[in-house]
Amino acid sequence: MSIITARGVTKEYPYEGDSVHALRGVDLDVAAGELVAVVGPSGCGKSSLLNVLAGIDPPTTGTVSLLGRPVYALGERARSDLRLREVGFIFQRFHLLAVLTAAENVELPMAEAGVPKAERRRRARELLEYVGLGHRLGHRPPHLSGGEQQRVAIARALANAPRVLFADEPTGELDRRTGEEIITLFRRLNDAGTTLVVVTHDPGVAAHAGRVVEMADGRVVGQGGAG
Amino acid sequence: MIVRAFLQTLVRRRGRTALALAGIAVSAALLLDMTMLASGLTGSFGEMLGVVGYRLRVTPKGILPFDSEAGIQRGDEIRRRIEAVPGVRAAAPILGAQFYPARGDSVGEPVFTVGIDPRAQALYRLLEGEEPGPGEVVASQALAEAEGLRVGDRVALAADLDVSLGRARGTRAYRVSGIGDFWYDYAGQRSLAMRIEEVRAATRRPDEVSLFAVAAAEGVDDDALARRISAAVPEVSTWSTRELMVEMDRRLLYFRQLATILGSVAMVVTALLVSTIVTIGVRERFGEIATLRAIGVRRGRLLGAIVAEGLALALAGCLLGLPLGLWVAGRLDAILLSFPSIPAKMTFFAWEAERVALALALVVAVGALAGLLPGVRATGFPLARALREEAE
Repeated sequence: MSIITARGVTKEYPYEGDSVHALRGVDLDVAAGELVAVVGPSGCGKSSLLNVLAGIDPPTTGTVSLLGRPVYALGERARSDLRLREVGFIFQRFHLLAVLTAAENVELPMAEAGVPKAERRRRARELLEYVGLGHRLGHRPPHLSGGEQQRVAIARALANAPRVLFADEPTGELDRRTGEEIITLFRRLNDAGTTLVVVTHDPGVAAHAGRVVEMADGRVVGQGGAG
Repeated sequence: MIVRAFLQTLVRRRGRTALALAGIAVSAALLLDMTMLASGLTGSFGEMLGVVGYRLRVTPKGILPFDSEAGIQRGDEIRRRIEAVPGVRAAAPILGAQFYPARGDSVGEPVFTVGIDPRAQALYRLLEGEEPGPGEVVASQALAEAEGLRVGDRVALAADLDVSLGRARGTRAYRVSGIGDFWYDYAGQRSLAMRIEEVRAATRRPDEVSLFAVAAAEGVDDDALARRISAAVPEVSTWSTRELMVEMDRRLLYFRQLATILGSVAMVVTALLVSTIVTIGVRERFGEIATLRAIGVRRGRLLGAIVAEGLALALAGCLLGLPLGLWVAGRLDAILLSFPSIPAKMTFFAWEAERVALALALVVAVGALAGLLPGVRATGFPLARALREEAE
C-alpha cells in the first residue's frame, strides 16, 4: 500500500525573470516499509522532489498524498503538525542547535509535540543509545564529530516515532567510513518498518536501497531494485 | 525549549551581546533621564510652591512672582480684601529688596532681603532662634556662614548705596533673631528676612508688597479660590499652583522639546541595536531556523523565540540602564542647579515611578518590535529555498 503518492508533479522556480523547471511531471509511489534512494546528477531535481513529497514545498502543478492525506490541501499549521508528528527529516548539514546538548536536541521535537518531560527524556536517551551515542547525552554539537552530529540528527528525526523518514544527502558531509555507519543505521530502521526516502549521490546508500529512483532533468527516468 | 535555546545563543555570543547591552543601557538611561527631565522641573516647582500650604500667589497685574520689580501698592488694604475672600486661610505679604552689609565705610556683597509678616510667612523654615521682632532679622544659612553670624549677633545693614562714593547710606544695626532654611534660594544665596514694615521704611516704599502667598482653608479648591480672589481684587493677578505650573511649563517648553528629541533618539538607537543584533543572530542561524521549520516547528513559535531575544536584550539593557540613568540624572541635576537663580531645593529630574516604568516599558516594547522584523523575515523566507541555500 502506497503511503506516498505523487501525480503529475511539476515545480518551477522563478529565476532572474525566467523560470527554472525543477520537476517536469513526476509520478511516484512509495509503499510502506520501502527504502527508496533517489539518485541522479546535480540539479536534476532530487531535492526538489524530496521537498515536494515531504510537504515542505508545494508543487506548481500536480498532487501529493502523504500518509493518505492530500498534503497541500492542508493549511500551513496542519502541514507543520504532520511533519512534526509523522515525518522525520535528516539533512546534509545537521543543523543541530549548538546551545543544546545532544539529548536536548533530540527532545526538542517531542517538546514541540507536547510530550511530557520525563517521557521525552527517557525516549531521547533510548534513541541516542539506539544510534550509538548513549555516552554523549550531555555533549553539545560543537563537541561532537560530524558522524556523531548526523547520528544525533537521526535520533532527532526519530523522536516522534515517524512513519516516514526523508533524508537529503545524509552522508554528504561525512567520510566514507562514517557514511557507512549511517547507511547501516538506515538499514536497521528500515528493517524495523520505517519507510525511508533518501536523496543521495552516494552509491553506498543506493546499494542498500530496496528501490532506486533515477532522475534526470526533472523527470524520473528509471526505477528498479538496487544493484 | 526553543525560546531557552534562542536566549542561550545570546549568552554564547558574550562579547557581541555585552556590546549591544551596553548600547541599549545607555539608550535606556538617556530615555529615563529625558522622561524624568520632561516632568521633573515643573513638578518640583509645583511642590515647592505649596511647601508650607501657601499654594496661591497674588502678584501685580499680569506679572509672575518676582518677574519684575513692580509692586502692589496699597498692600495692606489689598491684603485685607484678600483675607476677606471666603476660603482664604491667610495671605502672607512679601516685599523684595536688596540690602548691603555695612563694614565701616565699605559695604559687602548685596543680600537679597524679604519683608515678611512673621505671623504668616511662607519663605523659610526656622532652623534655630525665633521669628524676627522689630529691629531683628532671620538670616539664611548661606549668609550666616558667609558673615559668621549666629543668633543674637548684630549685623549692620544698609538699604541704599551711594554709588559715587561706594558707601552705605542709612545704615542700621539689626539683631539676628534666627537662622532659616529659605525654600526658594539658589545654592549659596545670601538672604535675610525682616518685618515688612522695616523693609518698607528702609526702602521708602510705604504700603508696597511685591506679592502675596495665599493659603486656602482646608478642602477649598485652589483654582476656584484663585477665581474668587481675582473677582474680589481685580487690580492684581492671582495664580493657583496649577496655573503657575502651566506657565512654568510654557517657559520651559525648550526643555521638554529637548527631552522629546533626545528620548526619541534613544528609542531609535535601541531599535537599531536590537534589530542589528537579532538580525545577525538570525542570519547565523538561518539553517537552524529552516531546519526547525522543516521538522514541523510552527512559524509562530520560532517568531516568538526570536522576538524573545529582542525582548530579553531590551529588558537586560533597561535593568542596566536604570542605575546608570539615575546616576547621570544626579550628576546633571547638580550641574543644572549650579546655574544662577535656580532654587537649590528644585530638582530637574523627578522620579515618578509610573512615568519611569512607562519609559522602560517603551524600551522593552521597542526591543520586542525590533526583534519582530528580522524574525518575520527569517521565518517567512520560503522554506524550500532556505534549505536549498543552506545546502549549497
